[in-house]
Amino acid sequence: MLSYLLRRVPSALGVLFVASFLIFLMLRLIPGDPVDALAGQDATDESRQAIREELGLDEPFWSQYLSWIGGLFRLDLGQSYRIGGSVRELLANGALNTVVLAVTALLIAVTLALVTSLVAVIRDSRWLNAMLAGLNTLGLALPTFASGLLLVLLFAVVFPLLPSGGTPPDGYLARPDITVQYLLLPAICLALPVWAGLTRFLTESLRSQMRQPYVTTARAAGVSRRRLVIRHALPNALPSTVTVLGIQVGTLLGGAVLVEQIFTWPGLGSLIESAISGRDYPVVQVLLLLSVAVFVITQLLTDVLQAWLDPRIRIGGAR
Amino acid sequence: MTETSDLLQVDHLAISFAHPRPAVNDISLSIVEGEVLALVGESGSGKSMTARAVLGLLPPGARASGSIRFRGEEVLGLPEDQLARLRGRRIAMVFQEPQTALNPVRTVGWQIREVLRAHGRISAAAARKRAVELLEEVEIPEPERRIGHYPHQLSGGQKQRVVLALALANEPELLLADEPTTALDVTVQAEILALLRRIRDRTGTSILLITHNMGVVAEIADRVVVLRQGDVVETGTTREVFGAPQHAYTRQLLDSVLSLPAAGDFVHPVPAPEPPQEAPALRFDSVFVEYGSSRRGRAFPAVQGVSLDVAPGEVLGLVGESGSGKTTLGRLAAGLVPLAGGSVHVHGEDLFSSSPARRRELGRDLAFVHQDPEASLDPRMSVGASIREPLDIHRVGTPASRRARVAELLEAVRLPADVARRRPRELSGGQRQRIAMARALVLGPQLMIADEPTSALDVSVQADVLALFGELQQQFGFACIFISHDLAVVNSVADRVAVLRNGELVESGPVAQVFGSPSHPYTQRLLAAVPAAEPKEPKEPRPAHLAS
Repeated sequence: MLSYLLRRVPSALGVLFVASFLIFLMLRLIPGDPVDALAGQDATDESRQAIREELGLDEPFWSQYLSWIGGLFRLDLGQSYRIGGSVRELLANGALNTVVLAVTALLIAVTLALVTSLVAVIRDSRWLNAMLAGLNTLGLALPTFASGLLLVLLFAVVFPLLPSGGTPPDGYLARPDITVQYLLLPAICLALPVWAGLTRFLTESLRSQMRQPYVTTARAAGVSRRRLVIRHALPNALPSTVTVLGIQVGTLLGGAVLVEQIFTWPGLGSLIESAISGRDYPVVQVLLLLSVAVFVITQLLTDVLQAWLDPRIRIGGAR
Repeated sequence: MTETSDLLQVDHLAISFAHPRPAVNDISLSIVEGEVLALVGESGSGKSMTARAVLGLLPPGARASGSIRFRGEEVLGLPEDQLARLRGRRIAMVFQEPQTALNPVRTVGWQIREVLRAHGRISAAAARKRAVELLEEVEIPEPERRIGHYPHQLSGGQKQRVVLALALANEPELLLADEPTTALDVTVQAEILALLRRIRDRTGTSILLITHNMGVVAEIADRVVVLRQGDVVETGTTREVFGAPQHAYTRQLLDSVLSLPAAGDFVHPVPAPEPPQEAPALRFDSVFVEYGSSRRGRAFPAVQGVSLDVAPGEVLGLVGESGSGKTTLGRLAAGLVPLAGGSVHVHGEDLFSSSPARRRELGRDLAFVHQDPEASLDPRMSVGASIREPLDIHRVGTPASRRARVAELLEAVRLPADVARRRPRELSGGQRQRIAMARALVLGPQLMIADEPTSALDVSVQADVLALFGELQQQFGFACIFISHDLAVVNSVADRVAVLRNGELVESGPVAQVFGSPSHPYTQRLLAAVPAAEPKEPKEPRPAHLAS
């Protein structure tokens, strides 16, 4: 397992390198000059030139790229042009909030998807299936801004049970009960589409496993339906579900940007929005590279997890 | 009929479905203790459905009526929780396909434990001990090591033994075995049948054996029930049914069983076909094929140094058990697998050193017929379109001439012309295999590779398809590599035969010579393992020492 992981690491690093170059190139191809944004309309040519030199934008493309990459290796992510301060500090503030939100949403989505799929397949009742299919479609079809506003309207305005936005005032650890109150609405809003997609896939996957001959063998031996689903079909349905979950992480990250806006959650989502509109190159390129890194690591993890879950990959065909 | 000692009694069982499909009309049968009853019939006869009905394992939408009594108690229509108590503990079932009957992500030991646990609490240590015992009982070597193995680490025969161990785990009184040896090689089949007999003798478990193979019936059954389209045609002891079949259908079934030449039949050498003057249609010159990557040192030799010639117009039978390399050799002739050594000549031309364009041209002269006509015909294409496709791809003739060619071939395989508009799903297995043959012949090939073309068919249908194959071969004069695990089938169609084992050529020669007086011990063993369709010795319908 470890050697499998190590074999995959070089290609993952390769992907990150290529991505870093493309991100760097792409930002400089976008029309618009950060100097314009910084200096304002009335700036003289001299002051513009001064800004350009100060930011290192007068140097050739390659040397700019290399100095950026060199900085990354020293964990020096550069200075923000516009928002001010070091990029690392900006990221550290937002990243904690976003990670807390995304991980909570992921846990909610996975737990709910497991429970609903297992119950649906074990019960196998017509009205339950119809209801789940309806909820599923709703979860997939409802755009995040709509479901977010709906949640706020319902649970913060009509029934004022939960705060409508913001992070817990005293940090996450001081009062867990308050943390939960603040986290619940945005996390559910973010989890909804992931739950819907995952449930649909897992339910179908479990059903097709239940039609496999090995299930009939176990059934003919007197194993109960609940055990058939949980102990026999589920381990077979999990490997492909893990792959789907890995892809869903993309949905989750994309959704996070929107959810953070709706619930005024000070995470990376709002940072990326202001950085892009302000042509804040150093912030944008690090954020983009970070999201690529999250993807690469997720794929690596899903592959490893899949191999670990499936003995046919784990042990190989040796007889 | 209503003896009290009957273990299982099925009376007027009928099974119907909302949509038309093979069902059970009226089946009555009974099994006494310690008996092996064979339920014989072709596909659609309702034999599997009858067995599934006993355990309440009918597919959704099926409705069963009549009565199934086990030890005098009605089991038909029992609720699921009561059936679960019966399943595995008192009545167990073994299925046809060992490759898919075991859970791929659980160890053998886990699966046995699971079955034990389904009928009461058992400690981990006791379950482990019992699992080892069971694997010993089904004669799997090194049981302590094997319980930690996953199904994919076992061979097909070992998997079927594990399936049998699962069925025997709770010492059932009745074992329902649905085609338990059909998916296995003949030598493995012989071992499993012997094992079933020993289990019956040792434990007194009654066995309801479902099979289409008359040879298997003769080998193991005490009594036989012959089914046809959901009705019982004939019931009797094995000797009665084989010795003096009462019903025409039983006679037809027995007649369509292909036989092998008995040992010693081959007296004088058959004049071998003239040494071909022209280049052979196909020549393998000490070919090697490897699977897996040789770079990582995990290459697995599939074919090792095989040299064979197929003369123009000759049918060469390739026989061997699974893993013998017979299918690989067939695919090699079509250039579908990479060659690791040696050379392949098609009509005197080196296939693997030709240019890609030339290889495509050579491909036109070559046709493939696969084992499963259901899988090899596109379900969304009409039959006519399927047959026409090679003509369309190679842009042969005009649309009108292509349609004419399709009609011509449908006639050649003796199917009505209106079949062309239908979809494969609307046809029977035999009809589908005729379509597959028509498609193979559409470009007028010089060489046909037929990979187990009749293995998925019923015996009576198989006989028809084989006869048709013979005629087509005469008419079109193509050379053919006929791959089969069934020695009797090869015996009936091939001119010469080559026996393969573990990728090596064991023996080859004219069919009558190889099968009549095999020179290699492996060929002899293979021939001996084929169950003959006649009961060997008089069998007690019920072993005396087990009568209770």
